[in-house]
Amino acid sequence: MAVSTSDIASPAQPGAFTTSSSSSRSILTHSIPEDEEAFSGFDIYDSYRRILCDPQISAPLAAILSLTELVEQSDAGTMFELVKALNDGAEALKKRVHNPIGLNAGSELFIAFVTLFPHESASFSELRTELVRQGQTYATEALQFRPKIADLALDFIKDDSVILTHSYSRVVMQALLHAHQRKRISVYVTEARPRGLGIKTYESLTAAGIPCTVVLDSAVAYVMDQVDFVLVGSEAVVESGGLINAVGSNQMAIIAKAENKPFYALAESYKFHRLFPLSQYDLPTHTPGILSFTQPPLRPAPELVARPSVSPETQPVLKSSISASSAMAGLLPPAPVQRTMTAEQISRNPDVDYTRPDLISLVFSDVGILTPEGVSQYLVGMFAG
Amino acid sequence: MAPESHSSGSQRAVETLAAKLRRRQVLGSRETALETVLVLRQVVSKARFTNIHQLVEIIRGVGRKLVEAQPKEHTVGNTVRKLLHHVREEYNNASKGTAASAANVFSISKFVLQGQPRKQVTAQKAESALVLREDDPDDPDSFARTLKPVLMEAIQVILDELETVYENISKSAKDHIHSDEIILTIGKSHTVETFLKSAAHYHNFTVIVAESGPSYGGHDMAQSLSSAGVSTFLVPDSSIYALMSRVNKVIIGAHAVLANGGMYAITGSLLAATAARAHSTPVVVCAGQFKLTPLWNLYHEYGALDFADPSSVLGFEEGDLVDKVDVVNPFYDYVRPDLVDVYITNDGDHPPPSIYRIIKESYDDEDNEL
Repeated sequence: MAVSTSDIASPAQPGAFTTSSSSSRSILTHSIPEDEEAFSGFDIYDSYRRILCDPQISAPLAAILSLTELVEQSDAGTMFELVKALNDGAEALKKRVHNPIGLNAGSELFIAFVTLFPHESASFSELRTELVRQGQTYATEALQFRPKIADLALDFIKDDSVILTHSYSRVVMQALLHAHQRKRISVYVTEARPRGLGIKTYESLTAAGIPCTVVLDSAVAYVMDQVDFVLVGSEAVVESGGLINAVGSNQMAIIAKAENKPFYALAESYKFHRLFPLSQYDLPTHTPGILSFTQPPLRPAPELVARPSVSPETQPVLKSSISASSAMAGLLPPAPVQRTMTAEQISRNPDVDYTRPDLISLVFSDVGILTPEGVSQYLVGMFAG
Repeated sequence: MAPESHSSGSQRAVETLAAKLRRRQVLGSRETALETVLVLRQVVSKARFTNIHQLVEIIRGVGRKLVEAQPKEHTVGNTVRKLLHHVREEYNNASKGTAASAANVFSISKFVLQGQPRKQVTAQKAESALVLREDDPDDPDSFARTLKPVLMEAIQVILDELETVYENISKSAKDHIHSDEIILTIGKSHTVETFLKSAAHYHNFTVIVAESGPSYGGHDMAQSLSSAGVSTFLVPDSSIYALMSRVNKVIIGAHAVLANGGMYAITGSLLAATAARAHSTPVVVCAGQFKLTPLWNLYHEYGALDFADPSSVLGFEEGDLVDKVDVVNPFYDYVRPDLVDVYITNDGDHPPPSIYRIIKESYDDEDNEL
C-alpha cells in the first residue's frame, strides 16, 4: 500500500512512508489529517477543488460531494471508522481552505446524516455504496433548489420594484433573472470591494436586459431611500437566525433597518449551519490578524528598546519624511499617489461578516419562507430531532 | 373527477354560500368560517370518490369556488385548508402500514426536512383497524364508506373548535388584565368583547373604546361592555394618541393574521398600534387560530385590503364635493409584525414570529394555493 500511495502523495511526503513504522509514528503525531489522506490514496482537497470548478456547485455541496468520494475511496470496515474518516476529512478540508464556513455547513450536514442513517444493509460495503448513492442523489436534487427559491421570491417582487443587492450570488442572480421574465425590475448592486464581484452581477444583469447600476460600497446609505427592498445571498445561515455573507451585508442590513426597508436573504437549505456567533469576532474566519493595528512607521522607535534590528529601519523612514516635507514646501512636484489598498492591507480585512437576526426580515429557502426565528427552530429540529 | 359531478344538493349549498359571500350577506371571520364548515360537511357527506385524490380535488374545487366569491374573507380558505390537512392526516393514519412504508425512505433531503415545524405526533390511537381499499373495481364505494365516518369526526372537531373559540381565548383573560388597569380597544370585535367580559369577573379595570369611524362599531362595543358592568369610556379615534400615555395595554381583534406575524385588522388599528409603540404600550391581539392565514402581505399596499362603501365618509348630499374628490374607506389596516407584542389564540399565546410555525403545523404547504 505504501508503494501505491507514494506516487500519488505530494513530493514532500514519500520519505515518511519508506521509513519504518516506528519513525513514521512521530510524524503521525503532528500531521494526522495529511497522513490520513495519503493512506487512503485520496486527497479530499483536490477532489473539493475539482468539484467546485462546476459553476453551479457551491461550497457546502462541494464538501458533501467530496466527502461522498471519501466514503467511496475509504476502506473503513465499521461505522466508527467511517465517521472518523469523515470527520478527519472535513477537518483536513477546513484547514486548507481560506474561508471554511460554507464547506463546514456541508460537511456538518453530511456527517450528521451518515451518523443517523438507519441502515439495514447486509454488509458494510453495501452501506457505503448506499451512502455514496445518497450523497450523489442529494447533489442532483440540490441543483433544483435555486429555481425553487427564485419562485418563492417572485411573489415578493412587485412590478416596477427597485432592488438593492450585494456582491455576486448565484441564487440572487437566479431570482432576479426569473423575476425579470415576469416583472419589470431595476437593480442596484454594490461594487463589493476588494473582489469587485458586484461588477460580475452588473454585467450578467445588463446582459439579460435588466436596468442595473453599480453603487459604491460607501454609497449604500445614499441609495437606500430609492430602494424597495434588499435581496442578498448567503454563505451560511446560522442558528441564531443570522446570516453570514460577503462583507458589507451587515452594514447594508443596518441601513435597511434604519430606513425601514425589508431585508431578504436567500439561502439553500444546505447552507443552514449550526453555529451561534454573537459578534463578528466569533466567526471561524476571524483571526487575530484581521483589522489589527500596525505599528505606525513614522514614529521613531522608543529609545529604551535597544533592538539592533530596529535601527536600520529608521533610516528610510527619516528619508521619506524629509521628502514628504520638502514636497509640501513645493520644492518638488508631488509624485502621483496610488490611493488604493495594498494587498497586505486587504489581507487584514474580513471576507465575510455576520448579520444579526433582528435585521433580517425573511429568509427564503427551498424548504419554505422562514423568519429568522424559524431558521433557528429549523436547525434545532434538524439536528436534534 | 370534476366537482360538478356530485349531487345537486351540496352543489346548491355551495352556490348559495358563494352568492352570500359575494353579496356580503355573511360577514365576520368566524361567521364565514362556520358557514364554510357546514357547507363542506354537506359536500363531503354527499361526495362520491374512490381514492384520496378525488376527495381532495372535490374539497379543493369547493374551496376555490368559495374563495373566488370573496377573496378578502381569508377564513374561508383557511377552513378549507384545515379540512384538507385533517383529511390527509386521517388518511395517513388509516393507511399506515399499507402504503406509507414505501414513501418512508431516508435521504439527505428528508433529513433536512426534519427541521420542518410539525405537530408532535400524538400516541397512535389503537383503532387504526380501518382497512382502506382505494380504487376497488368491485366495490367503488368501499373507500368512501370506510373513510367517511372518520372525516365526519374531523369536521366535527373543526366545528367544535370554532364554536368554543371565544371561550378558549378568554380562558387566560384574567392573567393578561390586572386590577385598575386602563385598556384601550377599538371598534367591535366579538373576540375582544368576550375576552374583556371574562376578565371583568376577576378584576376591576377601565376600558377606553375608540368609536372607529365611519362604521362606529365602537358604540356597540361600549354599550355591551358597560351593560356587563365594565367601566367604559367611548372616545373618538382622533384622541387615541393623546390618551395613550395613560393606557396600560392595547387589546384589539384581528380580521386575519398573516404568516409573517402581521395582521389585517379594523381601520384605526394601525393608528392605535403605532401610538402604542410611541409610548411603549404593549399591544395584545386576540384572534382564533382559524384566522391564521398562509399569506405574507406581499405588497404592503392598501390595494391588498378591502374597501367599504364610501358614502358613510362622504354622502351624496355633499353633491358638489363628490365629483371633485376620491373617497376611500378601507375596511382594514395592515399592522406590521413589529407593532404587535403577542397574539392570544385559542391554543395559547404566541409572539408574532411564531405564527408562521403554527401555520405550518395546521395547514399543508401544497394547499396554500387552493
